[in-house]
Amino acid sequence: MAVIFDQARLAPLKNTVAVVGVGETDYGSDYRGAGGKAVAKGEARYDSYTLASRALKRALDDAGLKKDDIDGLCVANLSSERASELWGMNPRWSGGGDAAQSIIDATMAINSGLCTTVALVYGNAQRSMDTAYGGSRVTGGGITSYFYYAPWGLTSQGALYALLFQRHKLLYGTTEEQLGAIPVAFRKHACMNPNAVMQKPLTIDDYLNARYVAEPLRLFDYCLINDGGVAIILRRADMAKDCRHPPVMVSGFGWSEQNVDATQLRPRLKDFYHTAHHDVAAQVYPMAGVTQKDIDVFATYDSFSVHLLASLEGFGFCKEGEGGAFVQNGRIEVGGELPCNTSGGMLSESYMQSWNHQPELVRQLRGGLGQRQVQGAEVAQYVHDVAGKCKSIIYTKGG
Amino acid sequence: MATPRPIRFMDPYAEQFWAHTQNREFRMQQCSECGKFRWPPGPTCDQCLSDEFDWTLMAGRGKVLSWTTFHRSYFPEYPAPHTVMVLELNEGPLFVAYPVRMVPEDLREGLELSLSWTDGQDEFGEYNLPVFGPLAE
Repeated sequence: MAVIFDQARLAPLKNTVAVVGVGETDYGSDYRGAGGKAVAKGEARYDSYTLASRALKRALDDAGLKKDDIDGLCVANLSSERASELWGMNPRWSGGGDAAQSIIDATMAINSGLCTTVALVYGNAQRSMDTAYGGSRVTGGGITSYFYYAPWGLTSQGALYALLFQRHKLLYGTTEEQLGAIPVAFRKHACMNPNAVMQKPLTIDDYLNARYVAEPLRLFDYCLINDGGVAIILRRADMAKDCRHPPVMVSGFGWSEQNVDATQLRPRLKDFYHTAHHDVAAQVYPMAGVTQKDIDVFATYDSFSVHLLASLEGFGFCKEGEGGAFVQNGRIEVGGELPCNTSGGMLSESYMQSWNHQPELVRQLRGGLGQRQVQGAEVAQYVHDVAGKCKSIIYTKGG
Repeated sequence: MATPRPIRFMDPYAEQFWAHTQNREFRMQQCSECGKFRWPPGPTCDQCLSDEFDWTLMAGRGKVLSWTTFHRSYFPEYPAPHTVMVLELNEGPLFVAYPVRMVPEDLREGLELSLSWTDGQDEFGEYNLPVFGPLAE
């Protein structure tokens, strides 16, 4: 089946919508709690609406807008009906899903004239609520969940990514030490980010000495489980000028899903989801009018470190199989050729399931981040690849 | 009494797959129109959308594609360390199982393994679980 991307229709949407506000909760201090010690799992302090509400208020303040300026609403991990009731909103359009999906949908809704200013809001009290991502407490999720293979003892998202990395090792000779450069780099970034949960430096020896969880993945290949909320305000570009900060433009996007034989793990293990990556790359770069070489800051969904290897290879930053070598020697660190997940990402800043990457890229393009600022950053890319549901957003610095 | 295992996913098609295991028969749906094998069990062929199928007896042979070892116990039935692998069956589908009659250290990319059975039970009842191990000498 030939895939045709209609650039004649996509390209006019470039820079029609701007990010005018971002807000996040206090990931680090919420994680550590009053005594400075990590809050125990299941010790409920917040619910997801508390965190989402806090992030929304901060994003509105950041934009210099009032809640009555919002006429579209996308929520994630929340009920749209309850959230809009809670915030006193009667939206003229609503959506939901992950961050990239919501940004793409909202851009289309704004361009269609359904709304002008959309709040995208996520809240997740997963630590307070002791959410499980594997094991016998997970009994739902349907066929395509890792739950399907429980009778054989296979469970958890981590194990599925361990299988992917093991396959990468077998095919290309990638080493665990090479993979370790990713969590080490992201931790370095987190240590430059006062809002990040993790503040203790991590060396490659610390990484290699940590226990395996699902071998060949170790403790530090896994994302955090912490509470938090994120909100983003998108606005029609011609209305963005009166906001508090210079706008950051949504300049390109792409979407492709690789679901055929997903439960068999075929796209994961036989393709590393590269078919979806290639499709998305063929949309997002031409739409934004840039190439991989123009990307100043990069962020990828990183519930596990190995996500970065797959997306760098799939989006053509290096050849297939060469991701392990590519991420060495500081190349993916601030100051390197392609700084990746500069907030610390979901491994070391906050596990906001794609949401925390967006404020970070926006801030990098606004500038003024101190030691973790990527100098002269003008083009930023987010890659979302969750089990082959792939999307990407390219942001550029607005005028 | 059969060995307790974590609960199976169950729907009308999974039910038929597991029913065959009670006779130690490893059968997968094969499309009657285009011949494609289907896993997991389901109502429709993803290649031609036909809903006609046969439960074809599988050869029970496959090659190792990847594996992972759990060093943390997620299920009481499978204390750590527990190794699970993915095989590419001769008929095409990929299949998750755990290795038997061998140590996980001997797993290799492309290693050919054959079907074995072990017993199991959960709240849906007793069944046999397809697992894989070294070819008989």
